[in-house]
Amino acid sequence: MTAPLATYQFSPGALEETLEFLKRTRSELRMLRKVRIWKDKLHIIDINKDCFEIQGIGYPDADIVPILQKLNTAFNPQTIHDATDLEYKEFDTGKRRPWAEDRVM
Amino acid sequence: MVTTNGQTLPSMNEANTRDPFNNNSYGTIVDSGYKLVSLPVLDVLDFNERIIRGYEEGYGEKDLPADLSVARSLVPAGTATLRDFSNIAPEIPEYIPENCTGCMDCVTECPDTAILGKVLSETELEAKLKAIPEVDRDMFKKQWSRTKKYFEGPQKKGLPGGMFNIIIDPSKCKGCAECVTVCDDDALKMIPKTDEVMASVRKSHRYWKNLGPSNKSYINDSLLIDMMLKEETHIYVGGAGSCAGCGEGTALRMMCSATGSKYGDQWAIVAATGCNTVYTSTYPYNPYLVPWTNSLFENAPADSMGVRMRWDQLGWQHKPIWCIGGDGAMYDIGFQSLSRLLASGMNIKIFVLDTQVYSNTGGQASTSSYTGQNTKMSVHGKTFGGKQERRKEIAQIAMMHPRTFVAQTTCAHVNHFYKAVLGALEFDGPAIVSCYTTCQPEHGVADNMAGEQARLAVDSRAFPLLIFDPRKGKTIKERMSLQGNPAVKDDWYVNPKTKEEVSFIDFARSEGRFAKHFDKDGNPSETLLWAKQERLENWHVLQELAGLK
Repeated sequence: MTAPLATYQFSPGALEETLEFLKRTRSELRMLRKVRIWKDKLHIIDINKDCFEIQGIGYPDADIVPILQKLNTAFNPQTIHDATDLEYKEFDTGKRRPWAEDRVM
Repeated sequence: MVTTNGQTLPSMNEANTRDPFNNNSYGTIVDSGYKLVSLPVLDVLDFNERIIRGYEEGYGEKDLPADLSVARSLVPAGTATLRDFSNIAPEIPEYIPENCTGCMDCVTECPDTAILGKVLSETELEAKLKAIPEVDRDMFKKQWSRTKKYFEGPQKKGLPGGMFNIIIDPSKCKGCAECVTVCDDDALKMIPKTDEVMASVRKSHRYWKNLGPSNKSYINDSLLIDMMLKEETHIYVGGAGSCAGCGEGTALRMMCSATGSKYGDQWAIVAATGCNTVYTSTYPYNPYLVPWTNSLFENAPADSMGVRMRWDQLGWQHKPIWCIGGDGAMYDIGFQSLSRLLASGMNIKIFVLDTQVYSNTGGQASTSSYTGQNTKMSVHGKTFGGKQERRKEIAQIAMMHPRTFVAQTTCAHVNHFYKAVLGALEFDGPAIVSCYTTCQPEHGVADNMAGEQARLAVDSRAFPLLIFDPRKGKTIKERMSLQGNPAVKDDWYVNPKTKEEVSFIDFARSEGRFAKHFDKDGNPSETLLWAKQERLENWHVLQELAGLK
């Protein structure tokens, strides 16, 4: 993994700003591939393995849930905060809206 | 050069102003001529030069006269190879040779025959490089790698090391990034299609085709993954109109390669109407190099029985016939016809592209759809949470037909897939191979996720792998193998990376078609919990049949 293309410092209580950062800079990454979450940081990784790093937030924090939801991450909010022996937790981000999902025939 | 409409022009199979490096040309690994046929009703030269030209230059639908050739809707073999997809995606894969191990996963999993491998000895390569213009020689040479598999392996045996290369066909790549996703070695990445990049990719593909075939001494016939190094396995050429990353495209390519490796182009396909027939026969483009026919949704097995009878009368018993259909055709609309075929004992092979969504008609519920699935005919709402019925299991039903070979597989399990297809071909009687295939727009997953989702479908017991071979013994458990599934004796597989159980809920969580089953806190619905139980019960049935319970 190369050095992150961008690093963002998360401040407790500043979730909206973080989501805004992701919205604003998302186009600088390619199709997202996965996220890696440490206790205190998050890597958002694209298909080329380029990544953004968000520091100051990790899987124990409540605000990680809306961030992961924003990234279409396939994770379980019930277990995301659980402690782990692993260095980090990793999830895919390949979920999309199905074509015409709200069309009623 | 050819003369058409009174004008003398370069042939469609030659370089021209629209295709200066002749990337759109017959032959996948090496150039070849048109695949001619001796039929009074189809003039291949006229078709490819006049009709294909009309469509490639944009006037086909409007200006081509409705003569007998057009009106019959016959399409020669392999015309899709003349189709140009260069401009449909903003990015294209770039090969990083120093990281490549020669695993061939990218070549195998591409749905569009757009990424190809070749291996030559160092001296052969050096000699052939001399034919490349000096100005481009270094650029092209740098794209070859010394992998452990092809270079160091032979050297250890005292043989010359093989130089390996992966090339992108810019006219066929749709930019799905499946190849980048399946590469575990960081040997591919997506880059923007600038004019400079495209000029280099187009030239490289042309020089690569000019080199001739791989040196066969480097192709290990016992390594099934290497089969796509041979020209004769590329029966499904690029240029089909399937979506970017289509799971069905990869399944058809791999099935064609396995069959081509044994039978060349001496076999045929009878296709049931479905997405597969739409994108492989969008007039005037045909990606198959073998005879192909399509009748209706409901009668492909009966149609293939007729073809089989006629071929047998002609003394062609040795030529296989594959009958292809989606879940709509095989589970539902043509199910009676399928059952009749399996009961007939005839030597016909069935290939089911199981997307669980009637992909062609826009994502509806079929009997193969999973419980809870949100589709156009089982809409998730207040009263019903998506499909309320259990999934029908075509493999178990097929097993109970007299002496039938049955396999359930995915393209992500390459060896299992090839063994299933080759086993079906070797079996002297009816055989059915049902393949899990991702439909990106209907499943609600990204273009690059076909392999990942297929693997998760197996890991989560949504779609277990199996092979049921009547030749293996007299009892069901002797005939039945669940080899290839993880934790085959357990209820659920525990992912060693996360140390968490992988269940149907995890599979559902990763796809948009089940998104409405999760509340804002991520809790699954009652329907989805029932679907998980239903998948476990199905897994228990398979374990019992295999003698594991």
